[in-house]
Amino acid sequence: MTHLFGVLSTGTSALLTQQRAINVTGNNIANVNTPGYSRQRIGLETALPVATAAGMMSFGVVARGIERVYDRFLGVQIQDAGSKSGRWEAQQAALERVEALLDENGGWGLQAALSDFFGSWHDLALKPTGEVERTVAAAAAGRLAEAVRGRAEALEGLRRELDADLASALEQVNRLALQVAELNGKIARAELGGEAANDYRDRRDQVLKELSGWIDIRSCEAADGQVSVSVAGGRPLVESGNTWALRVEPGGDGHGRILWPDLDGGTTDITDAVRGGRIGGTLAVRDERLVAYRERLDELARGLLDAVNDVHAAGYGSDGTTGTALFTGTGAADLRLNPAVESDPRLLAASATAAGVPGNAENAMRLLALRETPLLRGGTATFEEAAQGLVSLVGFDVQQARAQAQHEGDMLGFLENRREAVSGVSLDEEMVNLLKYQAAYQAAAKLVGLADDMLDSLMSMVR
Amino acid sequence: MRITQTMMARMFTGALRRQTQAMIVQQERIATQKRINRPSDDPAGAGRVLSGRAALAGLEKYASGIQQGKSRLEFNEETLKLIGDLVRQARRTAEEKSAGGVSAEERALAATTIQEIADQVLQLANARWNGEYVFGGDRKDAAPFVRDEDGNVTYRGERGEFLIPLPGGGRVAVDADGRNYFQNASAGGVNLFDALRDLVAGLENPDLAEGTVQIRAVIEPLERAEAQLRNKRAEVAPQAYRLQATGEHLARVRAAVQAAIGRDEDADVAQAIVELKNLEVAYESTLAAASRILQPSLVDFLR
Repeated sequence: MTHLFGVLSTGTSALLTQQRAINVTGNNIANVNTPGYSRQRIGLETALPVATAAGMMSFGVVARGIERVYDRFLGVQIQDAGSKSGRWEAQQAALERVEALLDENGGWGLQAALSDFFGSWHDLALKPTGEVERTVAAAAAGRLAEAVRGRAEALEGLRRELDADLASALEQVNRLALQVAELNGKIARAELGGEAANDYRDRRDQVLKELSGWIDIRSCEAADGQVSVSVAGGRPLVESGNTWALRVEPGGDGHGRILWPDLDGGTTDITDAVRGGRIGGTLAVRDERLVAYRERLDELARGLLDAVNDVHAAGYGSDGTTGTALFTGTGAADLRLNPAVESDPRLLAASATAAGVPGNAENAMRLLALRETPLLRGGTATFEEAAQGLVSLVGFDVQQARAQAQHEGDMLGFLENRREAVSGVSLDEEMVNLLKYQAAYQAAAKLVGLADDMLDSLMSMVR
Repeated sequence: MRITQTMMARMFTGALRRQTQAMIVQQERIATQKRINRPSDDPAGAGRVLSGRAALAGLEKYASGIQQGKSRLEFNEETLKLIGDLVRQARRTAEEKSAGGVSAEERALAATTIQEIADQVLQLANARWNGEYVFGGDRKDAAPFVRDEDGNVTYRGERGEFLIPLPGGGRVAVDADGRNYFQNASAGGVNLFDALRDLVAGLENPDLAEGTVQIRAVIEPLERAEAQLRNKRAEVAPQAYRLQATGEHLARVRAAVQAAIGRDEDADVAQAIVELKNLEVAYESTLAAASRILQPSLVDFLR
């Protein structure tokens, strides 16, 4: 069935197909900087062969389809790395704020307050009758209580700020989950006809990547192309077109808990099951690290309330009173200088005996001796060492979070490079393709021209 | 491996970010002259720096306490020396005026001198240092020795010591109980005030023979009072030595702690500058490489 029109139709199919290939190449070039874009490739195929006298022969070329070049396993790995990277980034950011909070360089540190406190008792031991020494000692004790209390309040304030972060992060999660569900629907509808919904898939991958930066997810793609996403150990977040909206509600300690809605209308607290993403990092700081720091502060406060108060209550003030507590409160959050002492520094018990009032300094010496007594951390640390320990602990945590954030960020970068190596647009490559398709287009145009000439020749024979 | 424009751009931006971050770190070190600017820069080192600072704060207190203690001891020493001189003068007067052939006028004149001495001794026994009575024991806010109309001096103070805290829970305790210095008659000591009172009475006695007996009776107690004061002064000597030695030791420890803090905390500025220079070279060459590699593409060569 070889005839001149066959040449013409071969030329036409080549023209159209090469043009389409140029379109695809153009689209690749246009999206060279689009995040998450996977380069597309046109699949070329010979047209269906036809039996001719000379044998089977194909007339022209057809585009089989436009396929997206990507590695489906990389997507899951990138989500995983994104979760870890997000977690440590959030942890680093929150911990660096704690570090600034416990700064000792400014001279208003916890340890500086402890040094001033014991130093003021040193002065009082040297001059127990001194009016100035008493006023200074009362002020130093007040400042110490304020330093401990202020830090406990600041830690609590930070936990509340992290609660707010958590609430806005969950809004993001819910928004992204809706987008995944919506894209699921679009992809399913588009692919029903056998066409690959390349751009929707790219968008969905991008959304899933963003989602994994917020919370650790597991995603898997069903046969119909729809992705189901689960969080916190297998609880569904998205299934085909449906989403489960996460909520945050204050728990027993007043801090937000993440609630996952059951099918029967109830909710499940999944807070402790979230380990990754920025939410995981925020929770780790809020519920583990900040709690640990607070415990250290409480221990310090209890040491002041027990050991220091015991010694102080055993002594006598310069007005003869005894049994006065120097500090009041139950822990770091409500540690205060006894208001009675604050208004009347004569109550400061420097004397060890009633007869020794006002010149005896024996009790001041006993209180001073507490400075070098290891009373905290199970009898291994003095007050000042405990304060140093807290600063070092925060320092270690920040250092670790920073190193982990760096490491996970590098890991994510490496995987994204791998993805880029497979799916990224190389302009050089596209230019070469462009040349290739252009040349083919020109040749096909030549073919049509040739067929036209041949037809002319044929017609002229008849005339 | 396929290399795309995005990969190259990402690589360059990543490298530039890391280099500028490293440069900022070095710049901060140079600007603050400190290697540790926050605990996370070196948590263990930051802990050592803090504990060094706590030690320094304590050492400074001990040093100033010792300084105060030393001047207190010097004050004690000077006061006791002065009283000792006065007592010796009184004893000599007693020896001279108890000899034969001394007229009533001479004794009356001597009596006024001794009365002056007794007044001065009382005043010195009520001496104050840094706003506190030195010989009143724990009763530091009121004059410890009070004289009534009959010339009897009573002690209103307490027992007690002046305490100087030393590092490691130690202390130097200076006896501040005035009775041990001037009065402790019951414990075999001598009541200096009584002896002076009796001496004045003897000198003023119109019966010269009886007066002579009275005067002779106080010579021995006055000698013992002098010895008592000397003993108390000798008691202070080892304490002064201990304060001196501890003070010198503290000064050396302080220098050592300061040096240790410096080693942990201070930046090696020369090294930081060299590192900054290296980073600058790396940064500039990255920029140069980026401008050469990122710019051209096949497009430039297609005509």
